[in-house]
Amino acid sequence: MLPKEEGLYNPTLHHDSCGVGFLANINGEKTHRVIEKGIQILCNLEHRGAIGGDMKTGDGAGMLTQIPHDFFKKILPFSIPQPGNYGVGFFFLPQEREKREYATQMVEHILKEEGFSVLGWRDVPVNPDSLGEQAREEMPFFKQVFVTLEKTESHRTDPLYLERKLYIARKVMEREALKSGWNLDEFYIPSLSSRKIVYKGMFVSTQFVSFYQDLGDSDFKSALAVVHQRYSTNTFPSWFLAHPFRYIAHNGEINTLKGNINKITAREHTLSSPLFGDDIKKLFPIVNPSLSDSAIFDNVLELLTMGGRSIEHSLMMMVPEAFGSRYHISEDKRAFFEYHAAIMEPWDGPAAITFTDGIKVGAMLDRNGLRPARYIITKSGTALLASEVGVLPFKPEEVLEKGRLAPGKMLIVDTEKRRVIKDNEIKSSISRQKPYRHWLEKNRILLKGLFGPPRSVGTNEKLLPIIQKSFGYTVEDLRKIILPMVENAQEPIGSMGNDTSLAVLSDKPQLLFNYFKQLFAQVTNPPIDPYRENLVMSLMSFVGKEQNLLEETPEHCHQLKLSHPILTNDDIHLLKNSSIRDFRVSTVSILFPTTGHIGSLQRAINSVCREVETRIDSGDSLIILSDRGVTEEKTAIPSLLAISAIHHYLVNRGKRHLAGLVLETGEAREVHHFATLIGYGASAINPYLAFETIIDLKRRGYIDSNLSDEDAIENYITAIKKGLLKIMSKMGVSTIRSYRGAQIFEAIGLSKEFVDKYFTGTSTSIGGIGIEWVEREKLTMHREAFREYSELKKHLEGSSFKGSKEDNQMYSFTSTIQLDSGGRYSYRRNSEKHLFSPEAIVALQRAVRNNDYSSFKEYSTIINDPKKSLCTIRSLLKIKETTPIPIDRVEPIESIMKRFVTSAMSFGSISKEAHEAIALAMNSLGLRSNCGEGGEDEYRFYSKVGGISLNSKIKQVASARFGVTSNYLVNAEELQIKIAQGAKPGEGGQLPGHKVTREIAKVRRSTPGVMLISPPPHHDIYSIEDLAQLIFDLKHGNPNARVSVKLVSELGVGTVAAGVAKGRADTVLISGGDGGTGASPLSSIMHTGTPWEIGLSETNQVLVKSNLRDKIRVQVDGQLKTGRDIIIAALLGAEEFGFATTLLVSLGCVMMRKCHMNTCPVGVATQDPQLRKFFRGKPEHVINFLRFLAMEVREYLANMGFTTLDEIIGRVELLELDRTKLNEKTRDIDLSKVLYKPGIQHSKTSKSKQQHNKNIPHQWLVSDELENKILQQSRDALENKRRVSFTLQIKNSNRAVGATLSAEISRRYKDKGLPEDTIHIKFNGSAGQSFGAFLARGVTLELEGDANDYLGKGLSGGRIIIYPPAGSSFIPERNIIAGNVSLFGATGGEVFINGMAGERFAVRNSGALAVVEGVGDHGCEYMTGGRVIVLGETGVNFAAGMSGGIAYVLDRNQLFDTKCNLEMVDVEHITDLEDEQFLKEYIKKHAELTKSRNAIQILNMWEEIFPLFVKVMPIDYREALKRIKETELEESDNANVTEEVYA
Amino acid sequence: MGSPKGFIQRERAETIYRPIEERIKDYKEVELTLPEEIITGEASRCMECGTPFCHSLGCPLGNLIPEWNDLVYKNKWYEAYLRLELTNNFPEITGRLCPALCETACTLSINRSPVFTRQIERAIAEKAFKEGWITPHPPIHESGKRIAIVGSGPSGLAAAQQLRRMGHRVVVFEKYPKPGGILRYGIPDFKLEKHILERRIKQLIDEGVEFETDVEAGYDVSARYLRKKFDALLIATGSREPRDLDIPGRNLRGIHFALEFLAANNLKVSGEVPQEEAPYIFSLPSAENKKVLVIGGGDTGSDCVGTSLRQGALHITQVEILPKPQEWNNPYNPQWPNWPKILRTSSSHREAEAVGKLTRLWGVMVKSFESLKTERATSDRVGRANFVRVEWKIDQNGRFYPKEIEGSTFSIEADIVLLAMGFLHVRHTTLLKDLKLNYDARGNIETNAYYMTSTPGVFATGDAKTGASLVVRAINHGRRAAEAINRFLYSQ
Repeated sequence: MLPKEEGLYNPTLHHDSCGVGFLANINGEKTHRVIEKGIQILCNLEHRGAIGGDMKTGDGAGMLTQIPHDFFKKILPFSIPQPGNYGVGFFFLPQEREKREYATQMVEHILKEEGFSVLGWRDVPVNPDSLGEQAREEMPFFKQVFVTLEKTESHRTDPLYLERKLYIARKVMEREALKSGWNLDEFYIPSLSSRKIVYKGMFVSTQFVSFYQDLGDSDFKSALAVVHQRYSTNTFPSWFLAHPFRYIAHNGEINTLKGNINKITAREHTLSSPLFGDDIKKLFPIVNPSLSDSAIFDNVLELLTMGGRSIEHSLMMMVPEAFGSRYHISEDKRAFFEYHAAIMEPWDGPAAITFTDGIKVGAMLDRNGLRPARYIITKSGTALLASEVGVLPFKPEEVLEKGRLAPGKMLIVDTEKRRVIKDNEIKSSISRQKPYRHWLEKNRILLKGLFGPPRSVGTNEKLLPIIQKSFGYTVEDLRKIILPMVENAQEPIGSMGNDTSLAVLSDKPQLLFNYFKQLFAQVTNPPIDPYRENLVMSLMSFVGKEQNLLEETPEHCHQLKLSHPILTNDDIHLLKNSSIRDFRVSTVSILFPTTGHIGSLQRAINSVCREVETRIDSGDSLIILSDRGVTEEKTAIPSLLAISAIHHYLVNRGKRHLAGLVLETGEAREVHHFATLIGYGASAINPYLAFETIIDLKRRGYIDSNLSDEDAIENYITAIKKGLLKIMSKMGVSTIRSYRGAQIFEAIGLSKEFVDKYFTGTSTSIGGIGIEWVEREKLTMHREAFREYSELKKHLEGSSFKGSKEDNQMYSFTSTIQLDSGGRYSYRRNSEKHLFSPEAIVALQRAVRNNDYSSFKEYSTIINDPKKSLCTIRSLLKIKETTPIPIDRVEPIESIMKRFVTSAMSFGSISKEAHEAIALAMNSLGLRSNCGEGGEDEYRFYSKVGGISLNSKIKQVASARFGVTSNYLVNAEELQIKIAQGAKPGEGGQLPGHKVTREIAKVRRSTPGVMLISPPPHHDIYSIEDLAQLIFDLKHGNPNARVSVKLVSELGVGTVAAGVAKGRADTVLISGGDGGTGASPLSSIMHTGTPWEIGLSETNQVLVKSNLRDKIRVQVDGQLKTGRDIIIAALLGAEEFGFATTLLVSLGCVMMRKCHMNTCPVGVATQDPQLRKFFRGKPEHVINFLRFLAMEVREYLANMGFTTLDEIIGRVELLELDRTKLNEKTRDIDLSKVLYKPGIQHSKTSKSKQQHNKNIPHQWLVSDELENKILQQSRDALENKRRVSFTLQIKNSNRAVGATLSAEISRRYKDKGLPEDTIHIKFNGSAGQSFGAFLARGVTLELEGDANDYLGKGLSGGRIIIYPPAGSSFIPERNIIAGNVSLFGATGGEVFINGMAGERFAVRNSGALAVVEGVGDHGCEYMTGGRVIVLGETGVNFAAGMSGGIAYVLDRNQLFDTKCNLEMVDVEHITDLEDEQFLKEYIKKHAELTKSRNAIQILNMWEEIFPLFVKVMPIDYREALKRIKETELEESDNANVTEEVYA
Repeated sequence: MGSPKGFIQRERAETIYRPIEERIKDYKEVELTLPEEIITGEASRCMECGTPFCHSLGCPLGNLIPEWNDLVYKNKWYEAYLRLELTNNFPEITGRLCPALCETACTLSINRSPVFTRQIERAIAEKAFKEGWITPHPPIHESGKRIAIVGSGPSGLAAAQQLRRMGHRVVVFEKYPKPGGILRYGIPDFKLEKHILERRIKQLIDEGVEFETDVEAGYDVSARYLRKKFDALLIATGSREPRDLDIPGRNLRGIHFALEFLAANNLKVSGEVPQEEAPYIFSLPSAENKKVLVIGGGDTGSDCVGTSLRQGALHITQVEILPKPQEWNNPYNPQWPNWPKILRTSSSHREAEAVGKLTRLWGVMVKSFESLKTERATSDRVGRANFVRVEWKIDQNGRFYPKEIEGSTFSIEADIVLLAMGFLHVRHTTLLKDLKLNYDARGNIETNAYYMTSTPGVFATGDAKTGASLVVRAINHGRRAAEAINRFLYSQ
């Protein structure tokens, strides 16, 4: 069962992912074979699931089938009516007999109440022996009930009558159980239906069949089966959370769940349907929020389906495909989606959903299509869909069609109509069943002039600075936030980490926004690239009164359409003065008096809430909450508090959906502000004061006079829009409609009471201030602002001073009132505190340069001094007093230092000199340095300086895979998968072309001068099972290396870490959210990710609780600075410690925070040769620093009475909150969650994993057998370079085939590999994921069959050939033969595919050559080198972010440019003879190697077909090639980092 | 920030001095304010550091240097002035006199030449005066509280201005004829022309600060009166007790404390003391046609060099007991961000050297003075000083001490000897005694962290509290003392 919320563990935070699939007899024939094969599918998907800490308990598996009537008829002791005329309920009940009987009685009672007759009960026979221990302990009792309903008239006319009645009965039972205080472990109904039945539970798929004996019965028949294998980040046995649910099985994640739940709850109050009549009340609550995201989704889908919509219609509402203008889709379909956008927000997140209503079975993907779904239709009438191909073998000649679901697409098998229905047919029929397009045209409200170019904004110059101050504006807000947005139309960039104090610890009054941290996707779902893939994203929304969810009328879309949520002053004026039928707009002031006692704020909120409600009751559709009119006596309720309080008030009242809320506020100015406001319920925001500020800045000459006022404001709005997309994308959310109210934030330093009341559902991990302090901080700002003003006013009234009149005018307000400096982004004395104060920097540098420990102590005293730097959570902690021991009894510093590593810093973000100094320092100490994500020059693997190796022992594998080759992998001791980076988790980056010097280009395998992009997600990690796959790949790519996974501290990181442990990583790194960066948007540095204390503690707690603590080492980094920091981290559970910023400071960094400008004046973080000359760092400086740290740790240990660091790991009970450090503001800080000690023995929990890295047995690697065969048969080639060639069978569970062989080659022959085709292996069958991963030069893999995702991942010079098996009758170029994300990060080699590949073919390819017959969406994304030839169709968004390499596409209908993302490339006609020769040569080769009919035909008709080829040429690349030809690569002058940034 | 790469592209601006041959003939300022276009260029070199050491470790006032550098670069002089004025009451003075710790701490000082922040500050201040931006800021309301400030040096003036702007009635007592203290009577005009001071004092007067000059507190007005009539009393009398020499011949005529010499000259230059009264205050001879010996190698000594030269000295010898500091010709600071111990050559040195009239000696200790024997009799005037060379050693307690080198004695002829060996502490005047103030170990007025002395309601600031230090520190202490007094007054 799921543990209760304890410490930082929160049961709602777990994630799951998995393998899904369905199998159906298209003709509807019920057979037992469907069951058998369904189970086989499950077993073949087993590697996508996971098992828990007891190494036996699976995360869950299950199967949904039709009611097996024959089976029941055979075994039941009582008779049952004709199929379809009775219902079967499956119950998970308590093992305890008494409780169980009570439950069955309740069930019977309710059934009777609802008009059913109970035919009988049946105990479901099960075999618990096969279960894991945890699963067995928690196993429920299984019962089935059989019921009928008296036949009535409606029964005859409505085929769903019985289903609906069963639905109502089940909801009543669930509610009753909830009322009786039963949790879901005690009472759960997997299914109650006349059509479907669900068998599921806590096991791995192989245990499935032996557990439920029913399924083995040959009379257990169904025409369809939906199957699911779960991989959860949790390991708490939970039977009911296994899939399938009643309608769906889901591989994915709903990121916007909180918002969706709130919205559906609010809608209950206007829900009505003739189908339910009064019974509708029995359905409430529609969702049980304690269920998983998938279960809640299922609840709502069920409501919609039972409420009268077809299942496909309902799914189209809940998971709409992208319908932006970039998509070429029918007008009716677009109208359908737009119309429904006014009814329901998307349930957003990655999703592959298989679904069934008992007759139709199907599957769909969300708009991003990141989860795989491959299908096969056979000639004999079987339809199979699964996460992987090869889960069921078919003879080649049986296969009619092989395909994959494309993003946003759906596929249905209708067993009644006996047909497979494809996406186009489904959607066109549904989108035309009502005249949606006409309804929209007539009813949607487009305010004339809205979003027109903004006209100039009036400012009140005299009062402006005062109002600014009242809203807490600082000089930094003006110059560092607003100005760059106006100038560049994008968010400002900064560098290094955030070392200012947490908002709650700051001495300066804070905006409420600063207490909220943005959440972001890591591992369990991918972030989106908001720049290259923005076509799937949308800022459009409807605002106004929502109608009954279960109806469809033209009125439903009588709402205001907003193309984005930022309103100009004109827009708001228009809204206020609009007069539209049934769409009344009113304005409510959100000011509160400054003169009263504390408590005014709360009173004001109460009254505003009531006022808004009154307006809604009187029929207003849009409420503008306005804080205009701040005066000395009245100030603004913090806008975030206002919106969230009202939002939640209305949700509770069931009225939230009856009106839109728009904010007119002076407070919002940076992107984070807008995101929080929308995240807590605002539909649109008018930041009037930001606009006035812009105009004022213009007036004062800060803005180029050539930029008109209108354009300045437009740019600012653009920057906000881009920023919003970025923040949404970080969480993998595509539309603002679902982001609104989704509350994707966590609070830090706000009291639970306050958060629960006004930000209901938000988590706050450390407690803190409540509404009184929010009020006080606001009033402090306000009074400070008005202090001088009021004095002057008084004075002017009765003027009597000596100055002349002119003087008087000179001493005018506007000019002399000065804003505070701010001091967040740059240090300012008397402003925000920074950990790295100037004094600390100087002391540290003195210490390491003079090898002077006393200076180091001075440094650490400055950092640890609570008076100077009460910045962090750890500064509030006290280490409990224990009995000291003599220091010589403590382990030596060498042994302490073994736990030190460097955190990733790429060559590119720091200079070669600095990078190598760090490597030398670490290697001379025998420790590990981290090369960062930029790859590493091969020479460093083998070079030494003074006998010390230059090689970085930790090699990073990040999203761009720069330089990740087989040889790179084998030269590492540790491979680190960088999921996120503290400064900008969930974001990608870019290295502008002018920074890509020859050296960097070489290391990153690209072209000098060409921009390099790091995508936000790893394109091979869309979910937790994908991460497990990458870990698997890397372990095969270098079996000697340990694998670590770098995560960033945030709410829920502990459960992700548990998933990482289950994915068999050796180390998990919890990185603090305030860690450094070479460049990152300022708002990301400041507002994303939490301090490591929280994430580390959560990780330790969850791992201990899940019995996984001893399976993985825990490392921590992010602003670790002193021995005390290390001790505290160790007590909270960390075993290893990473350093970065402090090392740079030791090497001379003076915290300029200009890394992103390339102007580092001390040569540390710059590529400018002029500046690199000034680098004065030495490896000894780093060595001294680490030694000092260890010395200090040792002193602490002696004082604490411990002989080794190992002894204190996880000893959180030795820490306590130091109350003496608290002041009036911080007195309610509550660290009990962070300091919570999970109740398992210490010895078991905090076991050090120091030896864990060496020689881990690999018996869990399914492919080992095959891989060993390969190695054996290749021995002659490996040892003597003799050619070998052999044939092997392959299946989908053989994954990463070729990786270990490549490791052997690289180890022996380095990057050069073997001569071409030295090892030639022929495979037959379906290859598992990552086929040919990191394949080294000299190996050819020839596959007759098909391949799954990640084909040729990191291809390092090898060759892969794939073609359909002999005897296949389908047309290769129209059928999918390779999965998604082929050639990800390939650096060299060749691939020939006779068939289509899925989405993202050749993503991040930087050197491989590929010929393929067709590709899905996003082909050649982020490519920087190599060549790709596509002999057929491509999907949309081809070449997005492609900055190098060349693609050739056969464009038969000459519409390719409509599918190509033309932002960075040109589509050219091929004129160059060289190109033609190249093309012809490789198509010929393709024809020879794969026997492609298509290629042969093209060659035969070369003269006719060749002119149809187009060449996709990146613009920068062309320039760069030209420059290289001219051999003059000049660096441009300025480091103007755009859009995003590099690591 | 200035230009992102300004610091790479541009070298530090050079100071512009008036030509030596011209400047040694008068007492006008030697250094000129740099033209605006040079200043904006110089400001472009500022990198607006994430951690600005100039602002945080360098400048005692915490001047928002990166902010106004950026504004100057962008030609927003008025806004630059407003940011400058936030932290510094007298930028035109620090812009001339400050040794510019900000430049020592400038990030560019790590490996190249620092931003010429002092000149930028000076230019902003001068521009502000020229444009009429510097106007009185009289308080908007009167608090009704009265504060007496004793001493009108930089600390007293800064405190006076701050307290007045807070609405208090402020009376400054100055024992000399005009306000300004060391700025007026200590600093030679060639470093700070007195009209620069006048215009600032005018601002203070216009704001309502009252000056009682020619009034010595504790003598002309009693401590008791001050305590009775004022709500708070601030002592800002500086650290005027000079370090003396107790050696044979010290009492010969012609041996003077440097400050007396400089003050007398300033009075002469300004003409504020009628010639007939001058002897009453300072009976000092001119250095004209004399051989001058300056004992002490600091700033005051250097001022003596420049003044003597202008008075027409025949030759000037400046001696220092400490060893000769390291000569340093690189633009960067070898001890960044601290004040480096390197050889400094002032404009006075340079001009005296240029005309061949200066000898500088280090590592020498004066042993005695003697008069020159004339034919008639032994004179009571000094004629020669006898020296011995020393080397510096460390004693058992780790302290440095000078060890005389045997056989290294020598003599120098001198008609005037100026003692510029620094100051011991505040003068222990009757006022301080009457106020019953405690002194710290060094003899300065002891205060708590809030500038209050052992006598409640009596505060001390500037050199009187800290011992002799920089003008910029004095201003800072004046400002902070003002805040402390304000808090004190409202807590009463």
